[in-house]
Amino acid sequence: MTAGILSAKAAAICACVAAAHAAAADFPKPLPTDIIPKVETLPAKYPTTWTFLNYASDRIELRNVGSDSREVKAQLQAHDSATLLVPEKRPELYVADTVWSRGTRGTRTDFITVYDTHTLNPIGEIVLPGAKRALIAAVEGLMAFTDDQRMAVVFNFTPASSVTVVDLVKRQVVGEVEIPGCSLVYPSGTRGFSTLCSSGTMLSVRLDANGVVAGRGESKAFNPLDTDPLFTASIVVGGVRYFPSLHGRVQPVDMRGDEVKILPDWPLVSAADQAGNWRPSGWQVVAGDEQKLLYVLMQPNAHEGTHKNPATEVWVYNTATRTRVKRLRLVRPGSSISLTHGAEPLMLVQAGERLDVYEPSGNLVRSLDLPDFRSRMQIEPLR
Amino acid sequence: MAQFDNLTESVLRSFARHTSRRSIFGMLGGLLAGAAALPLLPVARAGEGDTNSASDPNSGQSAPQGGSNPQDPGDPTKCDYWRYCAVDGSLCACYGGSVNSCPPGTEMSPITWIGTCHNPADQRHYIISYNDCCGGVASGRCSCQNNQGDRPPVRPQNSNEVTWCFDTKSQVYTCTTANILGATNDHK
Repeated sequence: MTAGILSAKAAAICACVAAAHAAAADFPKPLPTDIIPKVETLPAKYPTTWTFLNYASDRIELRNVGSDSREVKAQLQAHDSATLLVPEKRPELYVADTVWSRGTRGTRTDFITVYDTHTLNPIGEIVLPGAKRALIAAVEGLMAFTDDQRMAVVFNFTPASSVTVVDLVKRQVVGEVEIPGCSLVYPSGTRGFSTLCSSGTMLSVRLDANGVVAGRGESKAFNPLDTDPLFTASIVVGGVRYFPSLHGRVQPVDMRGDEVKILPDWPLVSAADQAGNWRPSGWQVVAGDEQKLLYVLMQPNAHEGTHKNPATEVWVYNTATRTRVKRLRLVRPGSSISLTHGAEPLMLVQAGERLDVYEPSGNLVRSLDLPDFRSRMQIEPLR
Repeated sequence: MAQFDNLTESVLRSFARHTSRRSIFGMLGGLLAGAAALPLLPVARAGEGDTNSASDPNSGQSAPQGGSNPQDPGDPTKCDYWRYCAVDGSLCACYGGSVNSCPPGTEMSPITWIGTCHNPADQRHYIISYNDCCGGVASGRCSCQNNQGDRPPVRPQNSNEVTWCFDTKSQVYTCTTANILGATNDHK
């Protein structure tokens, strides 16, 4: 018996040696030595299948949603309520962030980091004074471009509301504008911003070339906060910004001029669909494409307190005719939606720890994992 | 109107007990705006939801921590506890604090937002102040999201998305408490 075991071991060893010789014959040259150190860089112009994913207070990832493999291209550090701006005018990225010198305590610093798009190296920094940058997850409206992307405006909340004006080219803060009773910032006019006010109006502020207030204008009240408030999430389609409401309207606002135009609102839910009690729902609840179609996350059987629940369907509207043109069922309920900007756009839906990638027809083409996803995500496709 | 006066007085007294003069102007602004929105604030879903017991040691759930007061029923480590009808965050009762106290080493923000919850035991509606605890470690434990009465941050005092860490040394969010400011006098 012992002799039999020894014989089997010897046979196995011989087989291994023979296999090694055969493998070496198949690959006559060894692998080349690696270059150390080596760091990847990114293309000067990112493809339109790439998108930033802002994990809200955790990290910002750059992903190729058009690929099933090696889709994570890079990551940026991000902490409390970090907000990203991607300009088309300069090869830079801007991330507004907040940190404390001793982790969860110590001196608070609010700052904008300027990154080089090719290397992702930080190449500049703008410290925001006053430790007052608003900390509201990754909600839209914490920071916005203005003045053809030369300046940015940053929303502050202490809980007094104000806006810090930043010159991104000179990389310096140029001023602060008080906006009592108003929240968040949206680009408006050639050089200025608009903000949603608790009186239901929209306050618009014009700035001069130095970032100083040149004028203010307040719209009529159009946001019925007591009965059917607008989500603060919005999308610009055909130059007009669309805000869905909690109960199922959409409110278009033309913010291209120095004075905003509050356009007539229209219902997202037809009389025929009233019985299902469908309403917009989620976090980043609305998206749009180059064909002026509006994509809205919707959930049935909605009631008070369900407006941030994941949605089960996407309803697609023609903004010109104000009619629904498609109704897409999601493979799993989603909270944030966006569309890539390429010739063949993809619909992206964050659904728990998955990023589901659909064709606009509603056909699921891939599903990417979102490890350690916690609560909120802002999806920011590249142009 | 008398009810409103009583409520306002009660709210202001409670805040006065816990706040510094430095912060009073900021809080008054929030309170006045909050009072204006009181009729819209949420009603509790208490009594609904998860009745899953933590008796199973493999359940990953915390052991029940219900108090002994039958007028304040429920487990403050569970999202379905009646005072949490409008909370969005982590429950301090899971971090070494309680429903109305912060964990050691953190600081309670005196400025906050308020909701209205229904107590299933005495059938009263209570004004609940969701004071965040700040400066500690947030691990995502006992995450709870009930959005009744929550509104987009155009009215921040009605928004549970805002990090309510103001007038504290650190604005790093840790967890949320749910403190009774008073009954609404609309006893049903």
